[in-house]
Amino acid sequence: MVGEGYLLELCKVSKRFGGLSALEGVSMGVRRGEVRGIIGPNGAGKTTLFNVITGELRPTSGKILLEGEDITGIPPYSICRKGIGRTFQLTLIFPEMTVLDCVWAGLNARSKRVWWRLLWGSPPEDQATRNAMEIIRQVGLEERAHELASNLSYGDQKVLEIAMALSTGPRILLLDEPTQGVGPQEATSIVQLIKKLSAHTTIILIEHDMNMILEVCDSVTVLNFGSVIAQGTWAEISGNQEVQRIYLGERSWIS
Amino acid sequence: MSWMNKTRLDKSYSLGFLAVLLVLGLVLPSGARSLVVQVMVLCVFAMAYDICLGFTDQCSLGHSVFFGAGAYGVVLSLLWLKLGLIPALLAGLLAGLLLSVPLGIVSVRLSEAYFVIVTAIISAIFHLLAMDMTWLTGGDDGLSVSLPKLSLGMVDLSVYDPHTNYYLVFVSLLLSYLVLRRILDAPLGKVFVCIRENEKRALFLGYNVEWYKLAAFVISGTFSGLAGGLYAVTLRYASADYFSFYWSILPIVWCLIGGLGTLSGCWIGVLLMCLFQYYVSAWFTHYLLIFGVLILVVLRASRRGIIGYLMARG
Repeated sequence: MVGEGYLLELCKVSKRFGGLSALEGVSMGVRRGEVRGIIGPNGAGKTTLFNVITGELRPTSGKILLEGEDITGIPPYSICRKGIGRTFQLTLIFPEMTVLDCVWAGLNARSKRVWWRLLWGSPPEDQATRNAMEIIRQVGLEERAHELASNLSYGDQKVLEIAMALSTGPRILLLDEPTQGVGPQEATSIVQLIKKLSAHTTIILIEHDMNMILEVCDSVTVLNFGSVIAQGTWAEISGNQEVQRIYLGERSWIS
Repeated sequence: MSWMNKTRLDKSYSLGFLAVLLVLGLVLPSGARSLVVQVMVLCVFAMAYDICLGFTDQCSLGHSVFFGAGAYGVVLSLLWLKLGLIPALLAGLLAGLLLSVPLGIVSVRLSEAYFVIVTAIISAIFHLLAMDMTWLTGGDDGLSVSLPKLSLGMVDLSVYDPHTNYYLVFVSLLLSYLVLRRILDAPLGKVFVCIRENEKRALFLGYNVEWYKLAAFVISGTFSGLAGGLYAVTLRYASADYFSFYWSILPIVWCLIGGLGTLSGCWIGVLLMCLFQYYVSAWFTHYLLIFGVLILVVLRASRRGIIGYLMARG
């Protein structure tokens, strides 16, 4: 599985919490431009996988490479600056800040400036603010740019979180259940947004909704009890009997 | 109401407050004037503390260390180094800065409850040390100092003149406010707010959160040092008591009553508490009981204190 030419590569990554093995020798590679879905039953280790990739958790063993550079065990803010942006299952935003300020924050974090500019710049006019507006337009929140993030609907907060992840300028975007808890209409527009983003960003997506996975993902990794039990394109894994047994039970694939 | 609008309201209120103070110095009788001087000094301390608790959500119980250090920075540099008044005040500021760097490095990485406990312990250690090292601090009796003239190029002013004293403190408050306001309006201040709003999100946007929390802690400690220095100048005295826990609790109370995270909301808290101490304590010894009830009432009505309440109403 592991080889040259991957944007993100995991080599036998394991994470143990005491006696519990949350990830067991996970190896996978994601190519540039790919949209990879991560599926698996609850507790399979999907979010733990994201936490390990983004530096929130340090893997017990194994290596994580971003374009060949070892990023195992470096702090989350460095990993983010190297180009891995993420969203969370339960949205994390800045509730008492405007949508514009929330997105500005990510752009500001990567703007390279000497330390005194931190004290002397003035946010409303700076370049980061203009770029933030551009990202907000891209995700379709421009009419709500000056509203407080906490006043947005849950679906819009999910979109805002994607915008915040985009603002860090990611080479690879990790989305943790972007449509969870969102109404069907809003879910559809989030799917459209992800499809739009996938044109120029590499995406790894955790999702329970099979139709969405089918619609946006080029390939899928199936996790169960912390181990990869199958990965590949739809055609390749849908015939896998173990996947059918463990993940989908006796029901037919997609109704 | 958006954060920007709130800042604008906060600014007009603060400028009004400062304008009133500017005039009060000329018209007040001496007793009330010295009360206002004390209020202004404590306002500097309260603002400094707000940077820590109100803007980066770090509930420090160790700010008495910086307050005490600032006071002794001024008194000792006057007694031993025979510095002028302004350099001595800068020495007080520097004392706050020099102590807050190592103490910040030790404590900012700790999570909430541990941060509170460790800063409280640090404050207790410094209080004990200050009580013990009488050769340096004068212990409980403290050290008195006579103040040199305030030399401003052409003219030398005596700080024993109540007007000079008043406006020295006023200018210090004004400058502290302007510097802190500038920091909060700049990108640095916005990052502080991000951290307050959601530390984890800030971390995953690429901010080295610990570094920014340390910056806030040090800025806060530095201006607490200045406040301690001003306090020592107004009383011409510093004692080990300045390191006591009491001085760590006070700024929390001011900020809670006035309004956290508004920079100048805490001024209302300081004003209320000082008025209580002077006027209510005269007829009721246990005035702090009433004050405690007042805190509860304010926080019950609005979790963001008085200014937060007014802002929420528009």
